[in-house]
Amino acid sequence: MTPAWTLISAFAAALIVLLLPARAAMASRVVALVASIIGAVAAGSACLAKLANPDAAPWSFDREWIPNLGSRFHLAADGLSLTLLFLTGITAIAGVLFSWNIEKRPRAFFAFFMTIIGGVYGVFLSRDAFLLFVFYEIVILPKYMLIAIWGSTNKEYGAMKLTMYSIGASSLILIGLVAAYAAAGATSFDIAHLAAATYPPAMQAWAFPVLFLGFAVLAGIWPFHTWAPTGHVAAPTAASMLLAGVVMKLGAFGALCVAMPLFPQGFEQYKALIAGLAVVGIIYGALTALSQKDLKFIIGYSSVSHMGFILLGLAAANHWGLRGAVLQMISHGIIAGLLFGIAGRVVYERTHTRDLTELGRFDLWKSLPGAALAFTLATAASMGLPGFSGFVAEISVIIGLWQVYPWLTIAVAAGIILTGVFSLRALYRAFFPEREAGAAPPPKLPPLTWPEISAMGLLLAVSIAIGIYPKPWVQLIDDGLRSPLFQSILSLP
Amino acid sequence: MNHSALFLQLLPEAVIVLTALVMLGAAVATGKKPGGEFSAGVGVSIATFGILFAAAAMCFVPQDGATSTPLLVNDALARIFKAVVLGLGLLAVWLPPARREMRNLGEYYALVLFALTGLLLAAGSNHLLFLFVALELASLSLYLLAGFPRTPRAAEASLKYFLFGGVSAAFMLFGISLLYGASHSATLSGISHALEASQPSLLAMTGLAMLLAGLGFKLAAVPFHYWVPDVYQGAPATTVAMVSAASKAVGLVVLVRILQIGFPNVAGSAAWGEMTAGWSLWLAVLAAVSMIFGNLLALAQTSVRRLLAYSAVANTGYLLVALSANGPKAAAAALFYVVVYGLATLGAVAVTAAVERDRGDDRITSFAGLIHRSPFQAVCLLVFLTSLAGIPPLAGFVGKFSLFSHALAEGGGMGLAWLVGLAALLSAVSLYYYLSVLKQAFVKSAEDVDVSTPLPISHRLCITLPAAALVVLGMFPLLLIGPLAKALATMVP
Repeated sequence: MTPAWTLISAFAAALIVLLLPARAAMASRVVALVASIIGAVAAGSACLAKLANPDAAPWSFDREWIPNLGSRFHLAADGLSLTLLFLTGITAIAGVLFSWNIEKRPRAFFAFFMTIIGGVYGVFLSRDAFLLFVFYEIVILPKYMLIAIWGSTNKEYGAMKLTMYSIGASSLILIGLVAAYAAAGATSFDIAHLAAATYPPAMQAWAFPVLFLGFAVLAGIWPFHTWAPTGHVAAPTAASMLLAGVVMKLGAFGALCVAMPLFPQGFEQYKALIAGLAVVGIIYGALTALSQKDLKFIIGYSSVSHMGFILLGLAAANHWGLRGAVLQMISHGIIAGLLFGIAGRVVYERTHTRDLTELGRFDLWKSLPGAALAFTLATAASMGLPGFSGFVAEISVIIGLWQVYPWLTIAVAAGIILTGVFSLRALYRAFFPEREAGAAPPPKLPPLTWPEISAMGLLLAVSIAIGIYPKPWVQLIDDGLRSPLFQSILSLP
Repeated sequence: MNHSALFLQLLPEAVIVLTALVMLGAAVATGKKPGGEFSAGVGVSIATFGILFAAAAMCFVPQDGATSTPLLVNDALARIFKAVVLGLGLLAVWLPPARREMRNLGEYYALVLFALTGLLLAAGSNHLLFLFVALELASLSLYLLAGFPRTPRAAEASLKYFLFGGVSAAFMLFGISLLYGASHSATLSGISHALEASQPSLLAMTGLAMLLAGLGFKLAAVPFHYWVPDVYQGAPATTVAMVSAASKAVGLVVLVRILQIGFPNVAGSAAWGEMTAGWSLWLAVLAAVSMIFGNLLALAQTSVRRLLAYSAVANTGYLLVALSANGPKAAAAALFYVVVYGLATLGAVAVTAAVERDRGDDRITSFAGLIHRSPFQAVCLLVFLTSLAGIPPLAGFVGKFSLFSHALAEGGGMGLAWLVGLAALLSAVSLYYYLSVLKQAFVKSAEDVDVSTPLPISHRLCITLPAAALVVLGMFPLLLIGPLAKALATMVP
């Protein structure tokens, strides 16, 4: 199976679901699950093939599309894209499983869901800036609909805020891309072609921040992160998982694979600022998470904090930094998906509260031991304990950072300690509360269902697999980083 | 050139005029019978046959450029836009004209056909006076069409349209006379020769400015836009469809032809820092104020028709951005966009007309629960509004993207970056008001009874065909943008 099956399966599933008879809930779920599995298997098998035969030419698909614009339908998958595709596939499967109980307009739900997945696959595969932007923008409307229709807490506000941030950021990306296109001779939108052109420094000085900021808003860069917590909290569980797990990665991917290679000199000027904002984001996210009462808000702000590591890795701009950034994309995608899945689906659907004190009444470690175990492991992974994916990623970023901005590592260390504090606080108060003597016994909660168990197991397994044996992942990412696209960044002094 | 060749060249227009006369005859014949009332079905059928015959007649029009006369050209651009006008006109005819029963339908449809004749002639005119006559034929018919239902709103719309139109026609005619005085010619190529020979005089530039003011009225650019909201709100749906789609497309073709053939060397420049007086700069200013006013005022609307009116003003701004770049590719992109815009607005007007049938008015809140009432209308509305907002994979996205990129590439270095940047950011703002309609349609549910009366087949086609065209053109834009680019390259001078 070629990586094209990821795209085909997702968009085909979105169409098929819409053609099903009305209220065909089970059929829609099954179609979405099968399509997600096809996507994950296609990405996974391509990863294995790449590992078995690292020197084979990467899969690519290149057809004429809009010659007037110089845009081609050009998809290709190197190691870096493949790992991100695999992440998307896994998140898609877990998202469908965690949405197994959706009964309200299930066809529309899964159609929007699979459209987002397809758009994300498309961005990771595109090698043409116009095509990449098409897939990037396809995601916007389904995001809005998922949150506004199926969401909770202040959903219309959260959905509109997220959408306006996304479209505003997209218009910055559009300006940056169009400027690069015009300056490179207005003949082609091919990313390699645009990256090979030389742009005058005066132009790079304004075009880079415009383009980078456009992508970075979606990656939750401080102070443009405020859409993320409100959006994540308002979204239904599967949409929170997708938003935090993969959609935020689109921004990071665009910054890494489009903004930085196109304008390396502009990047050079701004990288200290980016590193500074990333560190502020790490500490600010952690401090805010520490003062939240709503479990989903805590996870939302922890996402802002963790996304800071990705931006920090990009700003370090050396091999360790970029590799760490990509590893963190994957690691955070898995862990955030898991945390949101447990908090939004497993716990909330049974207790109907996300307030830490309220949750204390339920004695979750007794009434839902499976969820408590999974949340404990996920918290450990989120804190970056060895043996989980978060450790591998964060240590790589810090090594990279040490080589460039050694003094910043002190601030990052403080951020890591704060992460530990707020994660343990949330875990302790929500799942392992101290019971006062004589308090009423906790209410009985329904046991875990098979979709929940399998989704949690799948995500935990991937996180632990990366944590214990990161070598194949690192190999795949390094293969992607060898692309000529990144040499102008890696060769910066 | 002999007379039979001239007749063949005007065959489509002749067919339309003949159909209009048949319509009038039929109306008189039925009106004479006691109690006889001309039915809408008969009017629509006659008009449909007439337009289809005219489209067939276009195949007999000689294709070579040698048949052009001083008055008329028959180049590829004219042929494409005559076909577009016939297509958009046919869709407009299929719309139910008014919310309430309207009298004298025979005259109504005859006037629609006369307006179409004027637009067809204007699309192929090469001589300013002939152009004026053609545009006046279209305008006078449209003034009457706007006021046909004899409600106070329609009367206000018609009066405003007529007063502003009359003043703008006076401006245009005076401008033409000044141009004739300056160049001793009223053909476009003659003016161009005269202006090439000498330094452009103040007389000629004043004439051009007045001509542009007249066309600015046709295109609904700020500050010539005061009639737009009232006409969109008060006029029958068919009239709104004619004004927004076919009339605007022809206005743009005429503008492109006048500027590219008649005044190529008095363009001046709108590039930042090197602005020089000329139509390029004037259009850039008109574009900027149209985009700002249109988008910001649309945010405050509660009636969907008025919202579409301000969106029309804003979209004129985008079109003028491309024209101010003064390049063939940007002009082709603008022509592509105006067709796509016309399809989307026509479709949106058709859905609004359907909602008015069910709910009695066009307030945004009347769209609540459209997805439950009629999934077909809701999904098509989604297509139209997201295409207007420029979201892929619909044609509006490709249109806007190529418009912006060609405008920047052909606008002299990065000089037009200020205008393109403004356009991109304001286009992001526009998503807010389109989403506010979609939110009602998809997220909210109606409070009272939710039944949709089935639409007649012609009205359904009027919604389906534009939606299908937007999807197809979004994925394969080359189908239209290819011929347009070729037509502009071979435009008869």
